[in-house]
Amino acid sequence: MYNKTILICDDDEGILDMLELILEETGYRIIPVKNSLLIYEEIEKQSPDLILLDLWMPVLSGDQVLRTLRKNPETNNIPVIVISASREGQRIANEAGADDFIAKPFDLDQLVNRVQKLIAA
Amino acid sequence: MENRKGHELDSLNNGEFTFSNDTLKQDLSLLMKALDSSISGIILTDNQQPDNPIIYCNKAFERITGYQRHEIIGHNCRFLQKEDRNQKERAVLRNAVKEGKECVVEMRNYQKNGTLFWNELYMSPIKDEQGNVCYFIGVQNDVTRRKKAEQELLHQQDVMEAQISERTKSLKESEDYLSSIVQTVRESLVVLNPDFKVLSVNEHFLKTFKVGKEETEGRLLYDLGNGQWNIPQLKELLENILPTNNPVEEFEVEHDFPHIGKKLMLLNAHRIELEGQYKDRILIAIEDITDRREIERRKDDFLSIASHELKTPLTTIKGYVQIMQRLLPSDISDKFKDILKKTGIYVERLNTLIADLLDMSRIQTGNIELHRETFDFDKAIHEAVENIQAATKTHQIIIKGSATNSYTGDESHIVQVINNLLSNAIKYSPESDEVEVYLSKVSNFLKVAVKDKGMGIKIEDQKKIFDRFFRVGEIQQRFPGMGIGLYVCEQIIKNHGGTLWVESEFGQGSTFSFTLPLDERKSNVQ
Ligand SMILES: Cc1cc2nc3c(=O)[nH]c(=O)nc-3n(C[C@H](O)[C@H](O)[C@H](O)COP(=O)(O)O)c2cc1C
Repeated sequence: MYNKTILICDDDEGILDMLELILEETGYRIIPVKNSLLIYEEIEKQSPDLILLDLWMPVLSGDQVLRTLRKNPETNNIPVIVISASREGQRIANEAGADDFIAKPFDLDQLVNRVQKLIAA
Repeated sequence: MENRKGHELDSLNNGEFTFSNDTLKQDLSLLMKALDSSISGIILTDNQQPDNPIIYCNKAFERITGYQRHEIIGHNCRFLQKEDRNQKERAVLRNAVKEGKECVVEMRNYQKNGTLFWNELYMSPIKDEQGNVCYFIGVQNDVTRRKKAEQELLHQQDVMEAQISERTKSLKESEDYLSSIVQTVRESLVVLNPDFKVLSVNEHFLKTFKVGKEETEGRLLYDLGNGQWNIPQLKELLENILPTNNPVEEFEVEHDFPHIGKKLMLLNAHRIELEGQYKDRILIAIEDITDRREIERRKDDFLSIASHELKTPLTTIKGYVQIMQRLLPSDISDKFKDILKKTGIYVERLNTLIADLLDMSRIQTGNIELHRETFDFDKAIHEAVENIQAATKTHQIIIKGSATNSYTGDESHIVQVINNLLSNAIKYSPESDEVEVYLSKVSNFLKVAVKDKGMGIKIEDQKKIFDRFFRVGEIQQRFPGMGIGLYVCEQIIKNHGGTLWVESEFGQGSTFSFTLPLDERKSNVQ
């Protein structure tokens, strides 16, 4: 069986590295994207099974990305979990159409659980 | 009206008496009305509860002291002494309470706004059939005028002569003095006559509004500029000042003013009188708070950006610590495991600190959201205590009494308050091994008291520990780690319509207590 693919988009290198390490350990294939402008291209190329998306990113913010994905019938159904340290994070994520929201800093077990749940669904 | 009395009756009665017939109920209701029309303050305290809290006060007591009912019920009456705690009458009262005797004293008390008044206090025990003192009744009279007259009479003769010769001179001097203050003060001042015509304004007013004396003085307040003060709500408040003596406080006016543009002004108004010269004038003080608001808003933005930026690397660190814990080889030393565990704990602490910082900034701008739900209050407190107890080896936390199993409020916020009070109690009483939590119902309020046997807090520091964070520096030196938490706690309790306060003697431990109104509808009736 091939590994499921998770695209992680966050402008913070530390978080990208850390998430890549733990999710690879759990058995997923990871596509890290640091520059949110490149996310559409990567999605098209790799068609991920799930996206982990930060909110506050330079130039193109996570909620903008998410709205665009939700409008496009090809990406409309990809499950997206928003991860953010913003105090308004939960609300913004809901309004933009996220499947789930996790506040930073998060508990790894919790994150892995939510990822597994959404990918299995 | 009828309804309200009914409520009050219930709250005084507090379920302790049952009425066999309506006449009794009617009698009591009449009695309550009588008590409320008394000009003396009347209170009842419950001697069976710790620290003898007030369970009833009449209207006159609110009027004499300037406090509202929700700030009174549940407190010990010594709060009226403010910082003035070394009066010999206090010991007299203490003795009388201890021995269950009656007494009369005259002592200095202070209204909520700090004004001193002489309180002639008559206090008397109420005993049950066995002779136990269950309650006390207190009757207060404001005898400031009489006291003043007495004191003045004493001095009069000595100073009379000197006075007369000095008089003309000093009057002139004090007038100059006053007017120089009025002119230099950095606040806009306006004096009105009873018809709301402007009698005079100070320099700062003219500068702030970029207007001249001639287009201001002699005109109606509401006609000034482009009608900026012609606000129905403000009008009503101003019109009430003279008949009721109620000041207008902190009224905000946002307006596009002529010459100076859009500004946010804060307005305070009081009735003023100068003996023998004039009475029934209104002094309005106006402060431009446009910049202050803007700075507050920016500070808020700054805090929320700062907390976001701080949390980002923290997320990575927390993740790596968890990964390390997972990848731990089985033959690793206990010492190493312990170090890893501690790293995790301190990362968590840093996270709480950042959350506190945000909480505080939100609270300061009044942005805090309450998620009100009905929950079992006693159970929540018991659970919070259990959690803290599990992590505390040095102290035994004892819960006594009960408050209610159904309270409507923000459970997580209230648990935050109790956690904070408990961890302070433990932190600041290293030489003792016990902390007591006392739950009770006082009239229509619930009350929680957290008592430690620690170092106590000096009276002059008691106010400071509730201060905002820009003064935390000083507090942190003396009470490390206390600053932010208590400020947040007090705001949370206030948001729920209650009060939070401390009773403490230096060297003898502290009791932090809070009350919360049980009947939402009633506490909103002001
Ligand atoms: C019924 C009653 C009414 C009281 N009224 C007042 C009061 O109006 N002003 C005041 O300063 N203290 C008042 N006290 C006294 C204080 O509550 C307290 O007993 C006193 O300060 C001595 O105790 P302490 O040394 O523990 O403070 C009253 C006490 C009782 C029992």
